[in-house]
Amino acid sequence: MKHPLHVLYHMVKADFLERVRRYSFLLTLGGALWLAYGVIAEKVTIVVGDGYRGVYNFAWIGMLMAICCSTFLSLCGFYVVKNSVERDSKTRVGRILAATPMRKEFYTIAKTLSNFAVLASMVFVLMAAAVVMQLLRPEARPISLWKLWSPFVFISLPSMLVAGSVTLLFETLPVLRSGVGNVIYFFVWIAGIAGGAVNHIEDTAGIHILENSTKQALQKISPAGSNTNFSLSIGGDHAWRTFLWNGIDWTPHVLAWRLAWVAVGLGFALLASLFFHRFDPARESIKEKTPKHKRNAAVDDPSLLPEPPQPKFSPASLSALAAHKHSRIPGLVLSEFALMIKGLRWWWYVVAAGLLVAEFVSPTTSAREGVLLVAWIWPVLIWSQMGCRESRYATESLIFSAERIAYRQLFALWIAGIMIALITGAGTGFRLFASANWPMFAAWLAGALFIPSMALALGVWTGSGKFFEALYTIWWYVGALHQLPTLDFVGGSRPSSSPVLYLSLAVALFVASCIGRRRQVAYA
Amino acid sequence: MNLTIDHVSKRYRANTLALQDFSLELGSGILGLLGPNGAGKTTLMSILATITKPTSGSIRWNGTDLAADPNAIRNVLGYLPQDFGVYPNLNAVEFLEYLAAVKGLDASASRRRIDELLNLVNLTDVRKRPLGGYSGGMRQRIGIAQALLNDPKLLIVDEPTAGLDPEERVRFRNLLSDLSGDRIVILSTHIVSDVEATATDIALISQGKLVAHAAPEDLLRAVEGKVWEWVVPSSDVTAARQRYLISNTTRRSDGVHVRLLASEPPPETSQVAPTLEDAYLFCLSEHRAGAAA
Repeated sequence: MKHPLHVLYHMVKADFLERVRRYSFLLTLGGALWLAYGVIAEKVTIVVGDGYRGVYNFAWIGMLMAICCSTFLSLCGFYVVKNSVERDSKTRVGRILAATPMRKEFYTIAKTLSNFAVLASMVFVLMAAAVVMQLLRPEARPISLWKLWSPFVFISLPSMLVAGSVTLLFETLPVLRSGVGNVIYFFVWIAGIAGGAVNHIEDTAGIHILENSTKQALQKISPAGSNTNFSLSIGGDHAWRTFLWNGIDWTPHVLAWRLAWVAVGLGFALLASLFFHRFDPARESIKEKTPKHKRNAAVDDPSLLPEPPQPKFSPASLSALAAHKHSRIPGLVLSEFALMIKGLRWWWYVVAAGLLVAEFVSPTTSAREGVLLVAWIWPVLIWSQMGCRESRYATESLIFSAERIAYRQLFALWIAGIMIALITGAGTGFRLFASANWPMFAAWLAGALFIPSMALALGVWTGSGKFFEALYTIWWYVGALHQLPTLDFVGGSRPSSSPVLYLSLAVALFVASCIGRRRQVAYA
Repeated sequence: MNLTIDHVSKRYRANTLALQDFSLELGSGILGLLGPNGAGKTTLMSILATITKPTSGSIRWNGTDLAADPNAIRNVLGYLPQDFGVYPNLNAVEFLEYLAAVKGLDASASRRRIDELLNLVNLTDVRKRPLGGYSGGMRQRIGIAQALLNDPKLLIVDEPTAGLDPEERVRFRNLLSDLSGDRIVILSTHIVSDVEATATDIALISQGKLVAHAAPEDLLRAVEGKVWEWVVPSSDVTAARQRYLISNTTRRSDGVHVRLLASEPPPETSQVAPTLEDAYLFCLSEHRAGAAA
């Protein structure tokens, strides 16, 4: 029998190679390198105290890039690596693995290490990039690779392990493995970053350690303004004052905290094994809507279902199809709409209806806007199916061989997606219309067109709903919830809304979807 | 009704030539497409179903070039792919209604048609059950039903009987025979008995090339007088395999009955009537020998 480490090595290697050869990996790596460039170009920096940044020496660059890794990569990386168990399930490789003596803990540890390997490989690329970039823009000497790289090793890598193991935990937990998990993770991440700035207990990203160290250094030159601020500044031209920071003092206490996160990461991997279904079809398949009293063990496993009673043997024949009219677009729109909302549970409708009523009865404008925000995040998992349902369920060959299908079905799907936005936001739209508030009504309409257009374009181009779920949630949080100018797509009655921009974007995204569909369908 | 495949080749990105200069002219009836794994059958089916374009060559439906007007084929096409998925939360009726809308059938016509098709494929009793709970055979029958939704004039079925039980397989064969009168049916399969039972024409394909296109009787005639049965001790079977092309072996009390194909048989053999499987093996071995030479 092979040594377990040998087996582990090959499992991690195969999974790692499979994933680093995907475009999503290159895309994330590109994003990380762009962020690294931003660090050197002073577009991305940490601001400490009263408008200070560190002198660009090896320690500061290393810290800055390490913290970008542990924050940026732990968010984007989740969406890149959250498919390892799902892929084994889809490809049926999982069933082969399940038939081997492999233990569940072994599998989840291997998958965690594989997630970690993917994320760590990006960290290693950034470590190399950091050297090049520091040599391009030195503000201080001497060269010290230890100071440059130690934050990557002690800050970024443990946080990558935690991100990898949390991803796996999400994949094994029944609810979180779906699109809901993609949305929830963003808020978990936000909470982790916010909590990490305050104490060690939640400091996966190493923010607390860096904050303490930089503030101590700043205190030497500016005792008054060193305790107030530690934040990441992105974009803009600022004239920051500088201070010299010579790196973190890696005391046993600090290292023990970082090591503790490694243990937490492995702990999450073991925890995941408790929920891992080991590719048992009864546990990995979708839940059916059979009433509970009719449920039995066979329901979740198609192989255990009884075949329908066979009628007495009879020769098969089929009559000719009577002359019929060709259906028009409205019929297809209704079919697409029905397909989108099929499978939703009763409580989904209850919440959506509650939000709709709240939109109608909200006493103040700000309350109504708040409700609209929730009403337009609620259907995120419906929109995220748009444009990728065919690849997700392998129905391309059935759909794309139909007559004049390329743009007809895409248009119907787009309209169906817009209908979802219009219906869920109908309360706000009606009140804006009734009060003849045309600028704000236009902003609301632009939002209703923009969201499904983005979903459709991302679905068609990526073949997955994951990217929309991640990007839309982040956009919703940053742009709409915090009313960031130009990123606020919701509109309502706020000065940050840009209806013309979002109407134009909606059209552009639909055109992008058509171009994407053209790639998918031969003879489009 | 006429389908012309004219010097069609297909090259994939990895520089694999899946089809090479493939030509075929088809009229009404059932064409059985036979060939080993990787021969190019599914590629040919995908090209005919407008799922992928050929690298070179042309396909014409009643004289209309597919490249100029793909909808000429699409509006008369029924296609059952080898691998396809279903939407697990939909039941059989909802799934077929959706595909009927995609294929452009109006609601009332599709409703009647779906009832008839579900009855035909014996799924009426489970019509309201979500497809996610269907067994492999039941999903395959849904695939057959969707291929027949629009009463296709060109029916392309790729491994249609995979996963069906023997009774359903026989029913499907009968259905194909029933349908073949006024349409072109292309049946790709590994199961020679399916082709034997239904095909009016057979095309043998190997390494992306057309090896033979003939009526089943003509293929059988080509191997007439070349099929033998030889009884050997089980210890000699391996040696026999190395010398002759063997299509079957059966273990009996007097030894192993070896069915072999040869122009010059070994001694003490008796000639037997050829089957389509013998003809298939013979044609492929001749083609491979020719290619090697």
